[in-house]
Amino acid sequence: MIEKLQTLWPEITLFIAACAVMIVGLSGTRSIRALCTPICGLALLIATFLSLGGLGGVDITVTGPLPVLASYGKAMVGVIGVILLLLIPGVVDREFDAAPGGPGEAPQPPRAFEAIRSNTAEFHAFFLFSLMGLMLCAGADDLIWLFLALELTSLPTYVMVTISTARNRSLEAGVKYFFLGALGAAIFLYGFALIYGGTGSTNLEAVHASIVAQADAGGINSITMAGFVMAIIGLCFKIAAVPMHFYTPDVYQGAAAPVAAFLAFVPKSAGFFAIMLLTATLGWSFGASGTELPGPVHSALYIIAVLTMTVGNVLAILQNSIKRILAYSSIAHSGYMLVGIIAGPGGGGGADSTLSRNGLSAVWFYLVCYGVMNVGAFAVVASLERRRADGTHDEIDSVADLRGLCASRPLLGWTMVISAAGLLGLPPLLGFFGKLPLFTSGVGAGHYLLVIILGINSAIAAYYYLRLAAAPLLESRDPAESVGGEIVESPYRLRTAAGLISAVGVVALALGLGGPLGSAATSVGQSGFAPSYVGRRAADRSPAVIPAAAHTVDDEPRDVEPAADGSVDGATIESDGGPPDARFDHAR
Amino acid sequence: MHGCLTSCGVLPGALNLPMPPLAATEVGSYAPVLLLIIMAITFAVANVVLSRIFGPRREGNIKATTYESGMDPVGTARKRFNVRFYLIAMIFLVFDIEIIFLYPWAATFPNIDHSTDQAMIWLARIFFFMLTTVIAYIYGYRKGVFKFD
Repeated sequence: MIEKLQTLWPEITLFIAACAVMIVGLSGTRSIRALCTPICGLALLIATFLSLGGLGGVDITVTGPLPVLASYGKAMVGVIGVILLLLIPGVVDREFDAAPGGPGEAPQPPRAFEAIRSNTAEFHAFFLFSLMGLMLCAGADDLIWLFLALELTSLPTYVMVTISTARNRSLEAGVKYFFLGALGAAIFLYGFALIYGGTGSTNLEAVHASIVAQADAGGINSITMAGFVMAIIGLCFKIAAVPMHFYTPDVYQGAAAPVAAFLAFVPKSAGFFAIMLLTATLGWSFGASGTELPGPVHSALYIIAVLTMTVGNVLAILQNSIKRILAYSSIAHSGYMLVGIIAGPGGGGGADSTLSRNGLSAVWFYLVCYGVMNVGAFAVVASLERRRADGTHDEIDSVADLRGLCASRPLLGWTMVISAAGLLGLPPLLGFFGKLPLFTSGVGAGHYLLVIILGINSAIAAYYYLRLAAAPLLESRDPAESVGGEIVESPYRLRTAAGLISAVGVVALALGLGGPLGSAATSVGQSGFAPSYVGRRAADRSPAVIPAAAHTVDDEPRDVEPAADGSVDGATIESDGGPPDARFDHAR
Repeated sequence: MHGCLTSCGVLPGALNLPMPPLAATEVGSYAPVLLLIIMAITFAVANVVLSRIFGPRREGNIKATTYESGMDPVGTARKRFNVRFYLIAMIFLVFDIEIIFLYPWAATFPNIDHSTDQAMIWLARIFFFMLTTVIAYIYGYRKGVFKFD
């Protein structure tokens, strides 16, 4: 337990900072309240440093489903957390701030500070708590830990959505998000309970050992399989995948743009970390080729991936609101990343080490790329606001509001163009290098149909991403459109800075600075379990379970795998010729 | 740390510590309880008697009504409460939770070998926990929960 505690220093740092901002953020003095953002930023940087092992470097000798994910996953959260933090000032408590003086901004005297009406302290603390939950998720080695970490990630976001604007649409978004989130949590918690029932442990290593034993004995317990499928479907809520995607556009549109950027990255990463850990616990040594997940989980993920990509991209075409487009794009990107999960680490047992073959490395790498590109797009929306005649402000919403942005505000305009082109995956930019390993790992695992669907969807996505890029770049602003109010730049300049950082990242990481990132991704995909898993299973299998004559002549050990898969799947049991009594192991 | 049963003090014998007697067989071992009962009764009686001797007396209709924590005791009970009660209840929860965690800790801590690092970690842990509750209290104070205008 003491050793376990020592891996938690990044989380402890964030926790201490969250306690500090709860006190500091309630100060009556404005300059002290303004310290909240630097405190959070400092804590995130320290947490990043600590999660990379401090000066000692990353320890890659630990065990577990994905042992290195704990280090690089936390570091990724820390770095992208800093960019997300730059969007936070001005989300809440604007009436107590003196406007920092944007161009053409009428100076409004701030209201006298009232602690009971202020939300600065809570908002910053919740921001840190949620990131802390995400970091805990990356380091999880137990189902209970994983559940608590996922909930710690989500619960603060419900409040952040609700208090992000003073308008009713935020309340509506918060309520929708909360109830659907509770539904998703209930589903994956039930799945976890079934996994515990089917394997007798909540520890992921023990679960893995039990699954190996069950597979050796002729087939994975049906309760265990049901548990994994339910857990993954429940986690679809976190990653905004079909069939749990319905909340996404409404919630992103209802929340303020900085919070929407947070939602698009943080809960999604938590969900993907959890799915990566769960699937790595199962292992990719089932199916006809011996390089797939067990049948039901494979089929479920396959269907979810195809539907998620297609639904996200097709529905995004129909939208006019930027935030809704980005919400559907977020759904589509989840579908892309699921391809990496389905493909798995390559080579069945995780022995293949390159980024281009390892689907899990590709997923982690894509999460980083997506985080960077996505913050840029949302930062542009957060940096522009429509000022009405009565002095109130509202975020821009429609794609038409972006017209002519490259001419009027080049920094923001080009940030939008670069982010949209990056999300689309145009070759010189980061999105291309993020998507490439997903394609190659899918091809390497032999899922050609899935990769073709991925390619078609990337082409569909061009329609709406090019709209986002063309509006600022090619179109010009129609003066008649400023009826609702003049569009001005937000007085909170850190938002522009966040967009700029992300745009620079999209270009710089693609131009060769991503080398360390690629090697980090490669090590993230390494399994901590024994690499001889497939061979050992085949060697230990009792001859009675090996299908005798149903197969064509093939004496390689891997090709006897269908016995395990078919026995679980149930559909291929006759063709495999496996003994019917070996279908399910109900000994437990 | 090897499993909770041995280290949480449920089985102190496993740590080679003297096992405390499970049931007191001598009447003398109940003396602290008796002392506590006497102190409690004395305190209650003394307060009533002393306030009757020294306290000012102002009788009135409202003062004579049943005490209901400041609410009107006559009429429906289903009426609106001031939202401040809710905040007070939230702050009460902080201390309630603190007690829930402190009590098992206090019951366990004597059973840990105090010369080891483990004991220091247990001590540091509870101080960290108490620090968080203190911060929750400071937060509530600065938020103005205790201000009744």
